[in-house]
Amino acid sequence: MFEGRRLLVAFWVASTPLLRGQSLERGPASSDTLAEPTRLRMRADSLLREWRRANTVADVVDSIDRARAWAASETMSVGSLRIVANPSPLPLHDAAARVWRVLDSLYGDEARHFERRPLFVVAVDPDTTVARPVVRGGLMVTWDLDADTLALLLLANLHPLDVDPALVAWLGGSLRPTVHPERQRARVYVELVTTPWAVARDCFLQNLEHCGLALDLTRLDESPESWLQNPAERRVVVSRFLSSLSRGAQARAFHDCTNNNDSACVVFLRSIPREAVPRPLTSEARKTLVDVALQLGGRDAYHRLVANPDSPMAARLAKAAGVRIDSVIARWRAVIVASRPASVALPPWGLWIAITWTVCFAACALRSSRWRVN
Amino acid sequence: MFQVLLYTQWKWSRLIVTVGTVAGFALPIVSVQGAAGAARNPLETGALLAAVQSWGALYPVLAAALGLLVAIATWAPDHRGRHVYALALPLPRWRYVLLRFGAGLSLLAAPALAVLAGALLATASATMPPGIQGYPVSLAVRFALAVVVGYAVFFAVSSGTQRTAGAILGVIGLLIIVHIIGGVAGVDLDVVGRLQGIVLGWPGPLGIFSGRWMLLDV
Repeated sequence: MFEGRRLLVAFWVASTPLLRGQSLERGPASSDTLAEPTRLRMRADSLLREWRRANTVADVVDSIDRARAWAASETMSVGSLRIVANPSPLPLHDAAARVWRVLDSLYGDEARHFERRPLFVVAVDPDTTVARPVVRGGLMVTWDLDADTLALLLLANLHPLDVDPALVAWLGGSLRPTVHPERQRARVYVELVTTPWAVARDCFLQNLEHCGLALDLTRLDESPESWLQNPAERRVVVSRFLSSLSRGAQARAFHDCTNNNDSACVVFLRSIPREAVPRPLTSEARKTLVDVALQLGGRDAYHRLVANPDSPMAARLAKAAGVRIDSVIARWRAVIVASRPASVALPPWGLWIAITWTVCFAACALRSSRWRVN
Repeated sequence: MFQVLLYTQWKWSRLIVTVGTVAGFALPIVSVQGAAGAARNPLETGALLAAVQSWGALYPVLAAALGLLVAIATWAPDHRGRHVYALALPLPRWRYVLLRFGAGLSLLAAPALAVLAGALLATASATMPPGIQGYPVSLAVRFALAVVVGYAVFFAVSSGTQRTAGAILGVIGLLIIVHIIGGVAGVDLDVVGRLQGIVLGWPGPLGIFSGRWMLLDV
């Protein structure tokens, strides 16, 4: 701990002149002799340097915290998953085994990279009156958690493997392991049935070409009519989701569109960036498509998926799955349609549980004290 | 004997049962209003399900109200007459209670059947978008079970003395006070939340009332 503090102080002492230099750098930027772009570039560079320094300081602080917190810790390995934790009754091994199964099924051989990303866990007393340590860069949990809950927490706190920006942009976020895939597929089923977009509903009705459109696998330079196929749909999407863009030159087209002028809707949709139009299906649906492709492709599927980041997403998914993209989409649709959630009308065992309670309460009435003779 | 008790209970609670039957028949039909235009408006499917879900909140309310009112109506005349009539009958007490219970259940069959009829009519008349299905029988069975459980709970409470009812209310009040004191003292003691989970969750006594009540669903 003492060593860490010394290091921190030394760093600040060493960085002070640099920071002074930073303030000197800004001086000439305000002079009239420098052109505006040069001044802005210098400011941007200056900000970048500050950001890097702040990161370095944060890393030092984190390393000091870890050195302090993990002094009496132990490392556990399940597959390539590494967990560093303090001694406690937490069912860490069970939870880690479950987490590893999920990681291995998603990333295949690429899951070996988790060796370099250990998870830090601090188990604390569940009694809230007991003082808890300050931990940065680690996961603090109470030691009375069960293996399922702990596995969920570990998965939620894992850093996903680095993937290319194109995949992240298409997916709408990082590719993370799914804890309950069946629930996710059921949600996508509901989405497919209830979505306002005709292409998605057509996908549900077995139009595979429209599945590709709904899943955003076609290129973004398509016309708005291909996405939003009927006038009522265009009007609803424009009025409900794009009202924030009805300013300036687009205000007139927006107003006419909301007053049932379909050509104005088309004009409005063409005038705004394609990314501004909400996609027919959510990122959860696209995630299930990736899952299906990875399942079809086997252990090397993830490696093939991220091997060519410049390729179109449809081609990448087809390569990962090892089959044509039409087959991937057809398989995805079949999986989703088969995941229809169970009806909520009558819960399982509801009949017998209700009858049991009825008999119990009736028996209570029989034992009423009103007529009891003492 | 059962027929006599059934007839007297019908006289005491016919207004409740009639209103409950009409409401039970109307509720499913009202809840799917607007389903006819579902194919035209692209946003209608989600809105339709949201409307069905909103109306669905009234099923457990109706079931609980019917159970409560019929249970009270079942015992009120006996309470007013200080149970002289019941004691004058050549019947053991347990049998008299069972006859009263059975008579109440028989009367409550009418609203349950009305919900079934209304739900069948509503699903048959609605134009459902692709992927949406009707669950009239499941919903009616659940409603019937909720009515029966609600009736049994309030029948048991009503059959007791004021002291028993006071004791039950006292225990509930005590738990709430402990919960409040625990919160003020900063102790992690969620008594009400746990009790709610036990009573309203499965397999709790009132679990049949909780959750979504959907006549139409995916």
